[in-house]
Amino acid sequence: MRPLAQMLLACVVALITGCEHSPGDPPGPIPRPAEVTDFSTLYSENCAACHGANGENGPAIDLANPEYQALVDDATLRKWISGGMPGTEMPAFAQSAGGMLTERQVNALIAGMRQQWWRPNAFAGATPPPYAQPQDGNAHDGEQTYQARCFACHARSRQQITSPDYLALVGNQALRSIIIAGRPDIGQPDWSHLGPGGKTATPLSAQDIDTIVAYLASLRNSAQAANNSPERPAAATPTGR
Amino acid sequence: MQRMKQTALDIYAWFERRLQLEGPVKEAVLHQVPRQTASWWYVFGSAAFTLLFLQIFTGILLALVYVPSAGHAWQSLNVLNHQIPLGWFLRALHGWGSNFMVAIVLIHMAQVFLFGAYKFPRELTWILGVFLLLMTLGMAFTGQVLRFDQDAYWGLGIGASIMSRVPWIGSGLVHLLLGGPIIAGATLSRFFALHVFVIPGTLLLFVFLHVWMVLKLGVNDWPMPGRVVRRATYMEEYHHLAHTDGIPFVPGAFWKDLVFSGAILAAVAVCAMVFGPFGPGGQPDPSIIQTVPKPDFFFLWIYTILSYLPPQMETPFLLIVPLLAIAILLALPLVAAEGEKSWYRRPVAVLVVSTVAVCFGVLTHLGTTTPWSPHMSAWSGDPLPVNRIHDATPLARQGAVVFQAKQCRNCHSVGGSGGERGPALDAVATRLTIDQMRFKVVTGGGNMPAYGKNLSPSEIEALVRFLETLHPANEPPAYDASRRTVEASQAADSAGEASSLRANEGSTP
Ligand code: HEC
Ligand code: HEC
Ligand code: HEC
Repeated sequence: MRPLAQMLLACVVALITGCEHSPGDPPGPIPRPAEVTDFSTLYSENCAACHGANGENGPAIDLANPEYQALVDDATLRKWISGGMPGTEMPAFAQSAGGMLTERQVNALIAGMRQQWWRPNAFAGATPPPYAQPQDGNAHDGEQTYQARCFACHARSRQQITSPDYLALVGNQALRSIIIAGRPDIGQPDWSHLGPGGKTATPLSAQDIDTIVAYLASLRNSAQAANNSPERPAAATPTGR
Repeated sequence: MQRMKQTALDIYAWFERRLQLEGPVKEAVLHQVPRQTASWWYVFGSAAFTLLFLQIFTGILLALVYVPSAGHAWQSLNVLNHQIPLGWFLRALHGWGSNFMVAIVLIHMAQVFLFGAYKFPRELTWILGVFLLLMTLGMAFTGQVLRFDQDAYWGLGIGASIMSRVPWIGSGLVHLLLGGPIIAGATLSRFFALHVFVIPGTLLLFVFLHVWMVLKLGVNDWPMPGRVVRRATYMEEYHHLAHTDGIPFVPGAFWKDLVFSGAILAAVAVCAMVFGPFGPGGQPDPSIIQTVPKPDFFFLWIYTILSYLPPQMETPFLLIVPLLAIAILLALPLVAAEGEKSWYRRPVAVLVVSTVAVCFGVLTHLGTTTPWSPHMSAWSGDPLPVNRIHDATPLARQGAVVFQAKQCRNCHSVGGSGGERGPALDAVATRLTIDQMRFKVVTGGGNMPAYGKNLSPSEIEALVRFLETLHPANEPPAYDASRRTVEASQAADSAGEASSLRANEGSTP
């Protein structure tokens, strides 16, 4: 009788103490969606579909690229996330702009991106061209720079970025961000590694970038002018600015 | 020692003299039942009975903390889950106990039906049993409402909209159910009263009568082909069987009941411990729309049927089928009180049970796998498979962005995630050529919205270029032979363009 009773007691104690760590013990209460400020939850519910699971390997620009994080400032991030990039597929997320995120949540996203993806000295001492485009470049010069610096890789039809349909969907700012910071996840080198196979080469100057973007924009615009016949709906002009 | 024993006996005698329970209890415990009746098949009723008491016990403990007010219910469940030691375990026991109880009651009913145990003289036992089933389901539903989270909220909303379809008295019924025109504080009080007083009270009364009859009429004899039930002779035959080849109910049959009930309780405890309590999910607030409400397991099949029925059939189905089913169940023992009990001689009965079981299984499975509401956050939350992005051309990659941005994903899954209103698109390029896909996207059809007016030509082009990449690596995409000529000429064009660009390059100084 004694040993049986002792065994029973031991079982009960084990059960009760074990329960606090058993798999059924639920995690914290589910907060209201607007109260979530955890970065990984916010990111994976709102951004992962286009920008990739960990900020890379998505169809849209890789936010996890440390060079991109070093290039862009908080105010700009806030502007794009809150208001979207008009004319592109980047949606507006702030409640003030018809989205679902509060100001606190947008700030939490920015802080989280900085914490996870920002690295000190991402450019290894080099000074990149400025993030924003100061003035419109000369499209004709741009064409030449493009031929000289981009064509070697982008001539293959698989990597055509001069397709007007592609350009109609991408804004100038996104092009600019990609040219400067690169997209390491898909193999686009940054502005200073445009040599064959992504080797270091003479970095593009700020002016080079202005002109390349202007050139690509001119391809987009002339295609749109041709498209704007009455029976085809006009494509929105992406500005992203 | 001797003195103490004597005092105890005296006290017992004092009570027995007044209560006089010994006779009936002995009679109930020791009454003879046919030997074969002491079977493992007969344990489900007593298991349901045991679960009922588990529910009452855990329910009372829960009621000590639960606050049945719209403002505090959700909060009080979270207090139980997170602040009271083992509070979550209590909630889990009650929740899993409820699921087990519904399942056991259904199994019990199927067994009774197959064994012909509803026939004379046990018709009333069956009829009460039908009401017990309904009340058990009623407890499960009202219990889910008391959870008062988003699922409960939307589940109730759907329940109310079903009720409102009853002709003439619909809005009156909704008013009665919700305690007003909308889901509010009064609704919760009403469901609390139902879940804690009205239904359990009736349930206990019916259970008492049900068990009473089982004891009085004896446990059903084992069905034998050829042993036919006749009103005139059955009672005599049964008593003959019970006395010539019988054993006392306790312990002959009872130990199996005990063992099985114990096993079920242990199963409930293990489920509770491993899977934890149900909810509470998000706060019940109609302004929160980021929610995928889903009903509890046992009501899933109804939603599945509804999502597959054409809309004009919904109202008749909802209003007629349940009533018809209940009427059939109630009428069954009255219509078929006599005759064969054995399943060998009742093929229709066996067929009915298996059909119902298969339908229930399939519908529930469909209900859990095919969401009847689109997956609302797939477009912004579910990444695309990485290799699709890596192998894509820049245009197709933009197509993937369009695919996400236009929320195609809410209805179509890719790489195993996304909605399931429409077919999964992982291998769509093997089924459709690029022109067929373009046509489908532009014109829609068959529950697929037409996007022709909402997408620019470039978006459509990018989109179909992306869809074109959706095929398994070892299976080539569908290809339209006429396409080859078109593409060849395009390639020639772009080659020309490229060479003209080079020519340009050469000509500029
Ligand atoms: C060393 C080779 C190389 C050079 C030089 C190069 N790129 Fe790229 N670029 C790539 C690769 C690889 C990708 C990935 C694209 C793919 O898989 O189609 C890419 C992608 C891109 C993308 C993004 C496509 C998308 O899907 O979003 C843009 C924009 C781009 N390049 C622009 C340029 C421009 C402008 C230049 C000239 C300044 C340039 N690239 C020079 C290799 C190169
Ligand atoms: C529906 C797809 C989609 C979703 C969801 C999305 N984005 Fe974007 N995002 C894009 C696209 C496409 C671009 C580039 C716009 C262009 O092509 O001009 C972009 C651009 C951006 C940029 C600016 C890049 C630059 O060039 O500086 C930031 C920052 C950004 N997204 C952040 C986010 C964050 C944070 C979220 C989640 C809250 C998010 N995005 C969700 C599609 C999306
Ligand atoms: C409201 C839900 C819904 C949305 C949103 C939706 N679809 Fe569909 N889609 C369907 C359904 C349902 C079908 C099956 C239609 C049929 O039976 O012919 C379908 C069929 C298709 C097919 C043909 C698949 C096949 O195997 O035959 C393609 C391609 C397709 N959709 C692409 C898209 C694209 C691209 C988008 C976004 C622009 C989209 N769908 C958005 C519901 C949807």
